[in-house]
Amino acid sequence: MSLSFLHPALLWGLAAAAIPLAIHLFHRRRPKAVPFPAIDFVMQARRETERRLRLRRILLFAARTALLAAAALAIARPRLSTPEASAAPGPAGPAATAVVLDTSASMAYRLGGRTLLDRARDDVLEVLASLGPDEPATVVICGGEGAPQADPPGFDRLALRRLVADAGQGFAHSDLTTCVTAAVRALGDPAAAATSRRRLVVATDLTASAWRLDAPPPVVTTAAGALRPEVVLLDAPRGERLGNRWVGGLVAEPEPAAGAHGYRIGVTVNGEGVEAERDVPLLLRIGAGKDERTVLRSLLELPASGSTRKALAHDFAVGGPAVVTVALPPDALPEDDALTLVVDVPRDVKVLVVNGAPSAVRHRDAAYFLEAALSGPASPVRPTVVDAEGFAKARLGDYDVVMLLDLRAPGPKAAELTAFVENGGGLFVAMGDDVDPDRYDAEVGGLLPAPLHVVKTAAERGTPGAEAKAARLAEIDWDHPALRVFTGQAREGLESVRAWRYMLLKPGAKEGGARVLARYDDGAPALVEARRGKGRVMLFASTLDPEWSDWTIRTSFLPAMQRIAAWLAGSLDERRSAPGVVGAPRPLELPAGSSLAAVVGPDGRERREFAARGGGAAEGPPVFTPDRPGLWQVKVRDRATGGERLDPALAFSAWPDPRESDTRRLEPAELTAWFGGEALARVASDGKPSGTREVPLWSWLLLLAVGAFLAEGLLVS
Amino acid sequence: MTEAGKRLLDPRVLARLAGLRLRVRATAEGVLSGLHRSPHHGQSVEFSEHKEYAPGDELRHVDWKAYGKFDKYYVKRFEQETNLRAWLVVDSSGSMGYRGAEDRLTKLGYASTLCGTLAHLLVRQQDAAGLAVFSGKVTSALTPRAEPSQVNAILETLEALQPGGETHVEAAVAFLAERARRRSAVMVFSDLLDRDERMLRLVTDLRRRRHEVTVFHLLDPSELDFPFDDPTLFLSMEDARSVEARGRDVRKGYLELLGKWLEQVRTACGEADVDYVRVRTDQPLDEVLVPFLARRERTAA
Repeated sequence: MSLSFLHPALLWGLAAAAIPLAIHLFHRRRPKAVPFPAIDFVMQARRETERRLRLRRILLFAARTALLAAAALAIARPRLSTPEASAAPGPAGPAATAVVLDTSASMAYRLGGRTLLDRARDDVLEVLASLGPDEPATVVICGGEGAPQADPPGFDRLALRRLVADAGQGFAHSDLTTCVTAAVRALGDPAAAATSRRRLVVATDLTASAWRLDAPPPVVTTAAGALRPEVVLLDAPRGERLGNRWVGGLVAEPEPAAGAHGYRIGVTVNGEGVEAERDVPLLLRIGAGKDERTVLRSLLELPASGSTRKALAHDFAVGGPAVVTVALPPDALPEDDALTLVVDVPRDVKVLVVNGAPSAVRHRDAAYFLEAALSGPASPVRPTVVDAEGFAKARLGDYDVVMLLDLRAPGPKAAELTAFVENGGGLFVAMGDDVDPDRYDAEVGGLLPAPLHVVKTAAERGTPGAEAKAARLAEIDWDHPALRVFTGQAREGLESVRAWRYMLLKPGAKEGGARVLARYDDGAPALVEARRGKGRVMLFASTLDPEWSDWTIRTSFLPAMQRIAAWLAGSLDERRSAPGVVGAPRPLELPAGSSLAAVVGPDGRERREFAARGGGAAEGPPVFTPDRPGLWQVKVRDRATGGERLDPALAFSAWPDPRESDTRRLEPAELTAWFGGEALARVASDGKPSGTREVPLWSWLLLLAVGAFLAEGLLVS
Repeated sequence: MTEAGKRLLDPRVLARLAGLRLRVRATAEGVLSGLHRSPHHGQSVEFSEHKEYAPGDELRHVDWKAYGKFDKYYVKRFEQETNLRAWLVVDSSGSMGYRGAEDRLTKLGYASTLCGTLAHLLVRQQDAAGLAVFSGKVTSALTPRAEPSQVNAILETLEALQPGGETHVEAAVAFLAERARRRSAVMVFSDLLDRDERMLRLVTDLRRRRHEVTVFHLLDPSELDFPFDDPTLFLSMEDARSVEARGRDVRKGYLELLGKWLEQVRTACGEADVDYVRVRTDQPLDEVLVPFLARRERTAA
């Protein structure tokens, strides 16, 4: 049995116990001299009370000294250590020891102002300090990227101590079963053959998600055969329950009701082992870095355990990539109290609709249906309709997409149109009675996906049987970004489109990059797309008015035209994959003509060492593994100019691993049973590997101080 | 008594009056105005005058002969006997110089005022008043006389008194035994803080010599209440003794001892038929004198 102190440096406070003595010695009050006639009575009274008073003075002095000494001792947190009787004593002799230090994300949990990793690190250092000179040891840091590294046990204690001291907090999930298996395998190394015992020490928080107890327990393979190691599990939370609450999910979906750039942001908040709470603030923040600002404060009612959902609405000011963060008030594990998501808010697409056949009768007007479809309330497209004359005067550079409807031919604008597309503009061409195929081929033949040929009439509209003879769309490329939106029954809206007349294209004349998105049932291309320079061109072989086709009255017309306009403007490209968890590799799709320069983490630090990985065409896109949760931004280098810039389109977010947020703990008996029962394994809830039981004495000392305080009060009164 | 008169008898007011004569005069006038006119005019048979009967007069004093002559009731009044001899015995020991607060009279000052007032009243009613001042021994004495000049002599002696020396009641008793052969009224003004254990027996011995003894036991409020809390060095006022004690520690024991002693004194006086008057020096003088005088008049009647 021995006495130790948690804060021995605070023992200087014991000097306070000398204060009553000092006051008694140095601060005595000089008595006031008073002549008094009845002095005989005073003398007699003093004689009679002298003994009682002396006793009271001694008791008072003792109470005050005890009060100060007990309080000072309690602050130093004394502990009485007694050896524990049973706990896996094991045979005598030196032991080869493998220590596993859990550095997973859940070890960032704060208890009493320190993280569990800090405690575990201290525990491991204590284990290393307690090893005998003939006991080899190794340390496995569990929580980093890749397979755990387990060196054979050795005697370089300094290196091991440095390894433990430098072990940083990880943010990924750790598989302790794998780490323990690797550590036990290391104990089977011939370097440890000289010792008779094998010991495994695991410093962890005992969260259930870190263990796979359905796997076979680790066994040391020695020359003498398989051997189960002695196991000590150092419980960093010291048996305490780890309540946690975290943002478990975040989705953002367009919400037209919220505005032109409105989004509905769905949040899932999970809790485990915490008190139910009302009016918990939930913050919605937009932006990153110094531009980040809180746009919404909401209140949540959180149950004790389980999950709850909340929908928040926000209307973004402009289109483009936006960073959305939803945060709870920080708790003991603050790393999972916020989730970040990068949302591609659709940009406004400016479209110049050139109406080649204007009509006073609205439903015969070539642009009437298209304009109505593009300028819907939630549409990101802003159409401007001009006639052929207006087209001649228009500045194409002011628009993202030009749509030519039943225009005879581009005429003098042909060159400008070609340059517009080459520089990234979008062009949509729809046919009609006025279209002159020859002029098109002559003026912008190189621009079109395929040269125009002749008009084919599948059926004369209005004649008997025309409905049945009309051509229908077939072989639709549903995977195309512009048409991907049609799923299930919605596809009927496109499949039911009929055309009485359509332009045939010259087959095989221009294959370069053309992609047929839909064909008529006779195999003739209906919707063809091609990339020209930086821009895109799409050709519809029929009309966008009811003259040749009935697409305009089909349900698919409005979404298809809005998405085609967005696709031609390039804004549908800005699709990014869902956020991954910390530690999950992520391919970075770099824009053409650029290479990866660096990845900037949530901490603002650039990771350039990852830039070398991959990057070449043969190797595929570079892969990056985020090591902490938050927003990651990608800096690209332009191959032509060599300049570096952050590409907002490549920014992505990494979420904390939900397994680490679930802080439910294993029953110690369950784990010791897996390791071979109490004969071999034990859980040290005090973090001490030596099998000692520590009794904290501070509460008793505080009780003594309170008693002394009360006694002092009684004696004084 | 008027409010002004009452205020004048307050010891705090008297303490501000510079001379003893002034204090005595003020007290005597105050006391006289506070006394009821006594229906008794002495027990002497020497006729003095007639007075018309009024309800309340004693019927036995009605002069029936005068009724026969004048057909009216007259009451006969008599001259008071003037042969009372009174010895005023004042303790001037060191302890009598104590006062617990600046605005109070010392016990000796209070005793002198009481004594002077009584001398004034005695001589005024033609009784003989004498004075004996003692501490360790009798330091001055005036044989009782009924002349008005006697008051002046007594007041001069009292005025010149300075507290000092130990208390020896024995000296006063021995003096009176020798000088007061006739039956006299003896009024002792003392705090009785005599270390001689025979003190009480000596005082009561005076009564056995057939004197009418009254003890005015003077005590300062601070002696009775012991208002000390802090560590205090108590110095004896009659010798070189001293004791250091924390006031609040010894208060209880002191008050118990004092209470026991006061009870002992009162009982001893009662048993010996000695009139005992305990006087607090913050007590208005009329509260001491008027009951005493009234008691004396009743006794005389």
